[in-house]
Amino acid sequence: MLKKLTTALLACAIGLPAAGAFAADDYSGHTLVVGVWGGDIERLLRENVADPIEEETGASVEFVLGGTGDRMARIYAEKDNPTMDVAFLNMYEAPQALSDGIVSSPDPESGMYKAIWDGMNNGCYAMSLVGLGIAYNKNIVPEAPEWSDMWDPEYSGMIAVAQYPGSEGDGLIGIAARLAGADEHDPDVAFEKLQGLKPIAMTYTNLDEIFAMMDAGEVAMAPMISGYVLSALKEHPDIGFSFPSDPGPVLVRDMLCLVKDSPEPELAKMFAEKALGVENQTDYAEQIFFGPTNSMVELSEEASADVIDTPEEVESLVQLDWPYVIEQRSDWTQRWNKELLEQ
Amino acid sequence: MNKRALMLLLPALILSGIVFLLPFLWLFVTSFRVQGEGSLLMAEGFSAANYARLVSDSYFAEVFFRTMWMSAAATVISLVIALPMARQIAVSAGRAKGLLLALILVPLVSGALLPTLGMLHLLGPLGVINSILKDFGLTTKSVKFLGTVPGVIIGLVQAFLPLMLLPLVNALSRLPKDVEAAAETLGAPTHIVWRRVILPLVAPGIIAGSVLVFCASLTSFVTPQILGQGKIATFGTMAYQQASLVLDWPFASAVAVVMLAILALGLAVGSLALKLLARRPA
Repeated sequence: MLKKLTTALLACAIGLPAAGAFAADDYSGHTLVVGVWGGDIERLLRENVADPIEEETGASVEFVLGGTGDRMARIYAEKDNPTMDVAFLNMYEAPQALSDGIVSSPDPESGMYKAIWDGMNNGCYAMSLVGLGIAYNKNIVPEAPEWSDMWDPEYSGMIAVAQYPGSEGDGLIGIAARLAGADEHDPDVAFEKLQGLKPIAMTYTNLDEIFAMMDAGEVAMAPMISGYVLSALKEHPDIGFSFPSDPGPVLVRDMLCLVKDSPEPELAKMFAEKALGVENQTDYAEQIFFGPTNSMVELSEEASADVIDTPEEVESLVQLDWPYVIEQRSDWTQRWNKELLEQ
Repeated sequence: MNKRALMLLLPALILSGIVFLLPFLWLFVTSFRVQGEGSLLMAEGFSAANYARLVSDSYFAEVFFRTMWMSAAATVISLVIALPMARQIAVSAGRAKGLLLALILVPLVSGALLPTLGMLHLLGPLGVINSILKDFGLTTKSVKFLGTVPGVIIGLVQAFLPLMLLPLVNALSRLPKDVEAAAETLGAPTHIVWRRVILPLVAPGIIAGSVLVFCASLTSFVTPQILGQGKIATFGTMAYQQASLVLDWPFASAVAVVMLAILALGLAVGSLALKLLARRPA
């Protein structure tokens, strides 16, 4: 009897922690909410991150698709009672969200923080690296253009811009200022230079829209972000993409943010670890031309040629003073509407 | 109002209070807040700074007047197109009338986005209209509709024509047929019959339709955003830009409050005109 009791107690002593551990990993009935862009980014995150998490934990992962404006609006509105756990933001929004207490500060002791190139986890975890370059119609612009070519009178009325405010517009302001011998801290010079692009052919809000106009020969050039354009080029043989050299492309970085006091912090951390992991970041680079921030990713020479994937390359890109740019956003929006779009 | 009537109205009142009145009050209060220095969060206290900005910058006045005249143009064009159409539907009998009414309702119930995307392909540089113009040799280069004021007005007319048609069909259907016949018997030509008989009698329908089309155009966002290609700023697109891109919600709220005030004014003017019409001697 005593032997049976001892065996039972031993079994309990061994089994309980194991059962406890099992309970901690079982997230059945839990839902992780992730705010992210749609299309290929969503597909890769679904394949490399969400599906494995669902399999391993029993939780479900819900993607809320849209632009960063939608996500920023939601996480700010839900500051005291968040329902979104992970939000992908732009590099200029992440520090703002951190200083407003909307997202958690990246943990410098975590493995994923250490795996990312030094100095990139600004506000949130750095997710991917892309550059603002020029998409162009090869039939109208015979050679890969430099920034200054956009001001060539030959292409007057054939330059398109993205809706403002946004990374593309801020980048263009920075480039215009540099072409005029200044930088973004001198917006008068920048906006005066931008006058030379008028009349603007169109303001685009999505790739299909701008590529249709480029294919139709109505738009010659448009400043665009590399990743999205490069992955869409195979369907548009008449459209090319140029990384100018004088000055270089403008660095744009996507950030992965963990929303502060979110309902599922453990699942959110798991999601971040997989999203920032080598497998997903390699697929990001090879399939959609988004450069990896994870220093352990090793790309083939071919894949590396099309993406920004080293700190040295990052250094060679134009980097805007984003905190200053954000402060100016409201004023610049009005100037952009009035002075460039002539609204 | 008796107790029974109040009980019947109560669910609608509660729903309106929750989904309209409370959010509107919140919007109104937010329009008097401002963002903190270097923050997207709202600072403590209240101020009229957002309204002062709206009044003091000529850019907003330009957007205001552009939105107003574009809405007025869309209203007049809709009226001109809808009158003969409504007349034809009103005199149609049986199934034909039902079918025509259903066709009017289809774009109205399919939401603003789908028909506007259809218009994008119709008016685009490679769209149907430009293809026809090129096929007939009328132009060699695409005519620009997208990103222009005329293009947006065409879109507004397409989107809101049913709002003009329905009240007109209703008013014309109630018109006694022998009134027209009597005028013709007395020797009145067609244009005189329209001017002195039909139009005065369907004036309530014209006013109701005009108020609906004007207000819908004034607050429209999807049509100017898509067909304007970001180049034609209206109150709707400006509110969107401030709320979703600049993330200045207090200022966007002020823009929305002004827009709603104009809307209320438009409805009040329409209501007053209908009352005056009802009082006029027969």
